[in-house]
Amino acid sequence: MYWENELETLERKNLEKLQVTRLKKTIQLAVNSPYYRNLYGQMCLSADSIRSIADLRKLPLTTKQNLRDNFPYGFLGLPQKELIRLHSSSGTTGNPTVIFHNRHDIDSWANLMARSLFCAGVRDTDVFQNICGYGLFTGGLGFQYGIERLGCLSIPAGAGNSPRQIKLMQDYGTTVAHAIPSYLNRLFEVFQEEGLDPRKDTKLNTFVIGAEPHTEEQRQRIEEMFGVKAYNSFGLSEMNGPGVAFECTYQNGLHIWEDAFLIEIINPDTLEPVAEGEVGELVMTTLDREAMPLIRYRTRDLTRILPGKCACGRTHMRLDRITGRSDDMFIVKGCNIFPMQVEGVLMKIPEVGADYLITLDTINGSDEMIIEVEVKKDWFNGDITRLDKLARLISGQIRDEVLVKPIVKLVEPGSLPKSEGKAVRVKELRKALNL
Amino acid sequence: MAYQVSIFLENKIGHLERVTAVLKAARINIRTMNLNHTASGWGILNLVVSNPMLAHHLLNENGLSSALREIVAIEMMDHPGGLDDLLQEIVKAGVNFTNAYGRSAYASENAYFVIDTEDVHDARQKLLQAGLKILSDETIYGIS
Repeated sequence: MYWENELETLERKNLEKLQVTRLKKTIQLAVNSPYYRNLYGQMCLSADSIRSIADLRKLPLTTKQNLRDNFPYGFLGLPQKELIRLHSSSGTTGNPTVIFHNRHDIDSWANLMARSLFCAGVRDTDVFQNICGYGLFTGGLGFQYGIERLGCLSIPAGAGNSPRQIKLMQDYGTTVAHAIPSYLNRLFEVFQEEGLDPRKDTKLNTFVIGAEPHTEEQRQRIEEMFGVKAYNSFGLSEMNGPGVAFECTYQNGLHIWEDAFLIEIINPDTLEPVAEGEVGELVMTTLDREAMPLIRYRTRDLTRILPGKCACGRTHMRLDRITGRSDDMFIVKGCNIFPMQVEGVLMKIPEVGADYLITLDTINGSDEMIIEVEVKKDWFNGDITRLDKLARLISGQIRDEVLVKPIVKLVEPGSLPKSEGKAVRVKELRKALNL
Repeated sequence: MAYQVSIFLENKIGHLERVTAVLKAARINIRTMNLNHTASGWGILNLVVSNPMLAHHLLNENGLSSALREIVAIEMMDHPGGLDDLLQEIVKAGVNFTNAYGRSAYASENAYFVIDTEDVHDARQKLLQAGLKILSDETIYGIS
């Protein structure tokens, strides 16, 4: 009933022992990288400084900014010859976040992914449709390798094109699908437009939903619409991608794979650990990654550890749903977006002012990013086609940057909040999501 | 050379009134107007007024985005077929326009037709050669 009987049900005491052993090994690997060698060298820290999990707190936190500042190879603990893949964030302004993997890392990730899916009840007899972008985004290949490792028939459908998704489901009798929750509303609409009922006209029994925070209510709605069980998947590209934490069939929190990740929950302001069971920022250390180990990485995701044992018998701790972020990142259509990326694009367009407002809303069942931009007074000449062209240019350039096509609305100068101080740049109107 | 005042407007309650309030306070008369709207929530208001330079200046001072655009106002007959007759002549002259609107005078046989073209000088030449009557600025602005 487990993918890995021993590892998944390891007694806490033994699990922690394993963590300490792996943590020491991780630090030995990490000091091969220029960044950690330098940092730990200055602080006279080494693998020998770690004797227990509590010792972890002697080590400094790692941030996304550290990754960007040391782009591309500063965190690499292995020669390039050993690497077999990279995954990277989108964007053309500033340095992307890139994670490198060697063969061991890809293998270990595929195994975690297979373990996650097995834990949600997926078996090798299933037909698994991965409705997710392939490429640099980790949700495509990350799932693909896990599905194959588990032994399902995989359908690497990619994202979008709902009529084709439905056809694939019907042609091959898809039983399990993975998608971002906000897309499933749209997919259901297309089922209805085609006069189909997914409960009767497909063999779907399981959905894996992730990459976007969602509420319990939204999960239940998806389960009712499609007549399936929907399981929450959590991951982030810095920790490989999907396969970090996953719900089991009891659907009461996400088991985080503690043999591969060491987790802490800290207060994002004081950086001290929060009291047991309190909400704070998730901090993670890789325990089984060779090419690019990360130590005490600040995920910026807010969550808490759920108390008690899970009835499934797994001993790995459970995370609550992600309730928000300790930075200003937001997620649209599964893409992680920082307001700074939008601002970066706008600042390069001379016709528009520096002020902008991003509104996230659900329009016709689909999540949309609406960007209001001020047109500079002295550029305006009364020509309507010129304004239309500008709106299209802005929309195209933002799409290239964040991979989501926004709706651009030009507004009168002076009508948006000024950029001084802490102006609200993002307005959340999507009902189903709590960001 | 005649000008219209073009104002960038969001399609929101009270925005058009912001413009008319400025003009009213300065006792500027609106002779004719045209309001177009895009699907993206904004549009452009075009005004022929008694004093376009002053209107443009005051609107900008009051935080609105206005621009002066040169137009051609052509005489048109205020009776059935008047616009059609005029358009046949404009077509013959080979003049294309991107926006147009009109005005008919009360108790008169005359009206005028305002066009906004990409090359206004070229348009004026062609229309004059076609024998059409281009109205004087004073007539357009109503200050004769």
